[in-house]
Amino acid sequence: MEKEAAIIGYAQTPYEADSNCSRELLVLQATRAALEAAGLKREDLDTIVTANNDYLDGRTISNMRLVEPAGSWRKNESKVEMDGAFALLYALTRILSGDHDIALVVAESQASVYGGILPGIMMLDPTFDRQRWLLNEVSGAALQASAYMDASGVSEEQIAGVAAKNLDNAAGNPLALRSLPGADAAKVMASRPLYSPIRDLMMAPLCDGACALVLASGKAAAKAEKPVWIKGVGFAHDSYLTERPLESMNSLKLAAGSCYAQAGIEDAASQIDLAEVHERFAHEELMSYEALGFCGPLQGGAFFDSGATRMDGKLPVNASGGAMGANVDCGAGLARVIEAAMQVRGDAGKHQAKGVKTALAHGQTGICAQENIVYVLGGE
Amino acid sequence: MGAKAAKDPVPRVSIPLNPVFGWTVGNWMENFFDGMKEGKILGSRCPDCGRVFLPPRMICERCFAKADEWVELPATGTVQACTEAAVKVAENGDMVDLENPEIIAMVKHDGADTCITARLEGADASIGMRVEAVLNPGAENVLDLLAAYRPMG
Ligand SMILES: [Zn+2]
Repeated sequence: MEKEAAIIGYAQTPYEADSNCSRELLVLQATRAALEAAGLKREDLDTIVTANNDYLDGRTISNMRLVEPAGSWRKNESKVEMDGAFALLYALTRILSGDHDIALVVAESQASVYGGILPGIMMLDPTFDRQRWLLNEVSGAALQASAYMDASGVSEEQIAGVAAKNLDNAAGNPLALRSLPGADAAKVMASRPLYSPIRDLMMAPLCDGACALVLASGKAAAKAEKPVWIKGVGFAHDSYLTERPLESMNSLKLAAGSCYAQAGIEDAASQIDLAEVHERFAHEELMSYEALGFCGPLQGGAFFDSGATRMDGKLPVNASGGAMGANVDCGAGLARVIEAAMQVRGDAGKHQAKGVKTALAHGQTGICAQENIVYVLGGE
Repeated sequence: MGAKAAKDPVPRVSIPLNPVFGWTVGNWMENFFDGMKEGKILGSRCPDCGRVFLPPRMICERCFAKADEWVELPATGTVQACTEAAVKVAENGDMVDLENPEIIAMVKHDGADTCITARLEGADASIGMRVEAVLNPGAENVLDLLAAYRPMG
């Protein structure tokens, strides 16, 4: 994809355990700031895509009252009931249709409002798995981690090390909910055990927050300051968690393959300068190194140990702290795209990595990362 | 803007949303439960690729076809994934500590291609462990027909 669509503005609210305000005001805060960053007004918007979830918002058609804060009054608006990274895909297709020049994507949820990990249980097969009350997003992730560790030889300490890296990086991100400057694997290993091997600090913290992004056609982006071009996008869906091999993220691998083909990426480890991956659990980041082709199959632990993905490594992963810093449902994947765009622009402040020209962003939806989406972004 | 303007916590009210859905379990799960009442473990098989689903599924996603053949499977299988649960999820969504940790396992029955998630008796579990289903054919609630798995031998 060559200069067909670019990110020209974005904003994130702080991510908090309790934002102490309505979701409408959270969305307004994000959308107004994103438009201001793009130098645009509501009147300039051609199309709007929101990412939110009826169950999380506690109402059906939950975008209904987002007409006002999303700027969509009497405009072309629709909703994606998945992560905002998929809402961006929808906006991108509208831009590529040639009918629209400016799209706004906004994602929100408030974990302070809904019941912790209950919504994940509602995703399960209702006639058996849900009723038996054993599976949920955390126990599902733990089962995946066990299969991955058995196949790869990755240790609990290596998984804890990933969490520690991201929580340390999050200390440089003023919007993060959770950060632990100087954290090490031992600190993570000492946190509360949940479902082995997963402990509290290996699980991305759910929170309140909103984030928004302005996407422009090539024509409109040419007039913008520091456009961040979408070079490629790929996405894929896999089977339900009990019906697929859990030791590898096959749908992420497929997503990366089609994204790389569009973006002209032949050797991801050398051509990508930085990645923001949506790791809802620390082991998913190791698995993503493999699926994204940063290293060979089952080599995620060794690749992490090489230091390549640390802030000063050759391919920093989650310089922002990733989802370990803040995991807003519906928004954490879109936040990865925003963070990757910030890095390409050199606007990431204290968590800016050096020399980022090409960045990758990943979003996911579903238990054990059933569905994945990958973007490659680049500057001029 | 608004987010930071308020100093006092926003008042909270609990607003119940308790929709009740009247699903049937469907013919496939009904067969599965009816089988277990007679001590039989029934899976569905895709006629095109031969994959065997347990619990039975109606559709093979790989062949884009109805998995409408039935096979009786042995009670034995192998652990594919396992976790020691130190917590359980309470009705309000909080994870609360269990007094006694329990093992949750994904088990692939011999002859099946997919997994059942269930409790595994005992304190130790590892991937590759041979286990057998503990059936409870007289259970009143169909969900209790497959009580757990236990290590073999
Ligand atoms: Zn088939």
